[in-house]
Amino acid sequence: MGLEKKEKASIAWLLFPFFGLWFVFWLVPLFFGVDLALQNPGYIPEYRDAFEGSGEEYSGFQFNWMDSQKNEIEEKESVKYIGLENFSRVLADKKFYKALKNTSFYVFGSIVIILPLAFALSLSLFQLSRIPRGFLVFCLLIPGLALPSVLSTLFYLFFHGRTGALNQYFVVPMGFSPVNWMMDPLFIMPSLIMQAVWRWTGLVTLFFLCGLEAIPRWQWEVAKLEGVGIGMRVRKIFIPNLWHLALFAIVFLVVDGFASFSGAYNLLGGSGGIMDAGLLLVTYVYQVAFPGGSGRFDFPGAAAMSLLVVPITAFILFIVLQSRRRWSIR
Amino acid sequence: MKKFLSGIVLCGAVLICLYPFAWMFLSSFKTNREIYQPTLFIPSDFEPDSYLSLFSDQYISFLSYFLNSTIISGLQALLAVMVTAAAGFVFAKYSFRGKSLVFGIAILVILIPKQALAVPLFDWMLWLGLQGENWALILPGIASGLGIVFFTQVFRKVPDELLELAKVEGLSVHRTFLLILPLVGPALVTYGLLHFILSWQEHLLPLLLLDDENITLPIALAKLRDSSHRIPEAVGMAAATLSLLPVVVLFGICFRKMKTALVHLALS
Repeated sequence: MGLEKKEKASIAWLLFPFFGLWFVFWLVPLFFGVDLALQNPGYIPEYRDAFEGSGEEYSGFQFNWMDSQKNEIEEKESVKYIGLENFSRVLADKKFYKALKNTSFYVFGSIVIILPLAFALSLSLFQLSRIPRGFLVFCLLIPGLALPSVLSTLFYLFFHGRTGALNQYFVVPMGFSPVNWMMDPLFIMPSLIMQAVWRWTGLVTLFFLCGLEAIPRWQWEVAKLEGVGIGMRVRKIFIPNLWHLALFAIVFLVVDGFASFSGAYNLLGGSGGIMDAGLLLVTYVYQVAFPGGSGRFDFPGAAAMSLLVVPITAFILFIVLQSRRRWSIR
Repeated sequence: MKKFLSGIVLCGAVLICLYPFAWMFLSSFKTNREIYQPTLFIPSDFEPDSYLSLFSDQYISFLSYFLNSTIISGLQALLAVMVTAAAGFVFAKYSFRGKSLVFGIAILVILIPKQALAVPLFDWMLWLGLQGENWALILPGIASGLGIVFFTQVFRKVPDELLELAKVEGLSVHRTFLLILPLVGPALVTYGLLHFILSWQEHLLPLLLLDDENITLPIALAKLRDSSHRIPEAVGMAAATLSLLPVVVLFGICFRKMKTALVHLALS
């Protein structure tokens, strides 16, 4: 369609609200972040004075972020920019790697469990007739509708501890000794992953179910006529038809996983749990920026940390989206 | 046999999904001692004390937090639908120079979620003087990359003939957009709901961007939990139930529309 001048103007007006907001609340903070990451943690700009003076508001847990370096920082308070020092400080921080490792494990673990589970559930649902199907999917969705902090509270009260339901109903009957879910460093990450699975499996099941319902009838008929085996059916019907939905789910889970904060924050009271076994990236960034108690606000360190994560998520998503080309050829 | 097996799997899954929430609801009537025995299901009596204490602001001003959450999430979802639908419509139906570049920029938003930008965003809001206001929370959430992808897909399914007809009739692009909107009603509802829920659940940004007196539900619930040695656990359970209820009702009402929209999207 060729465009007239008047059309161009109104197209610009339709795009403007999005890009205006995009500019002010995404691009500017991004540059703010880059700028912040280059600054001296000891330097406090005027507009932040009032806030830092008010102090105690964000306390709640004690935390010492690289005590040894504090003196060094205090010496050059008047210097504003210190180059890439913040980045090297973060890269030398063992806790950062721990958080990165935990988060990757969390994201990978939840995706590996959720996708096959959701696929199996959607296939089971697909065999039912319309009304119970809708009703059951809705039931599966409910954990996704609840606040993550509610899920954590429930997890804490209901599943947790020796007398918790998870132990009483599953672990003990299978002949194992009860697991102390939130206190044992080995089991903190599995409990976080369990929470993610509990939360998102319903939504992914809904996606897959809608994908199955959208598969044209003739494909099933042909498969039936030809007497195609299950392996062939998966390769020729399910994967081509559901792959883009699975991709969408993966992108969603990766983004949500790397950004997840609420569940772990509630479950572990803002700390990383015993031996930081449940320390996630966003929690750590938050700890560095708002140490609470006696610590000082280290915005530049936190900004550097967030920026270091960006290439990682971008790379993962790039890989995921690349695989789209391979599968979408029918 | 196959049906039987999948039936069992489904029943198990539904049970795992629903049982804890049923326990949560029933626990809002229990005493602390009863709650600390998680295998106990039915409370000894059904006194609605915990609900009354929430409604009378005995421990926290629950109703005002609830209202705050509703306003923030509702407004954000409404604005997000309008803004991203307009942009998605243009991306799906018009071509202009530099379009793929502009579209690429819009998609870029997905790569860096706003939680990753939380600290700079907080600093920026301090600089703007917006920190502590509801707008500080509403505005950053509107321009979402997911919305652009969703609505571009949605409007691609609208037949081109309609647009040509509108052009022949001499309608402006705006009028055409407004005329086409009702056709994609289910998609608008679907995205609005998803956005509403994601914003309803958001925890980190309100923690940073809102004042202490002016918080949203996730933070109010975390507060209740933190002080659970002073406040009976049943109050927290009641608050949790009340925070879940409106979302479930909304979803229940719109569920069929939502499924239609998603199936339609999945048809390629």
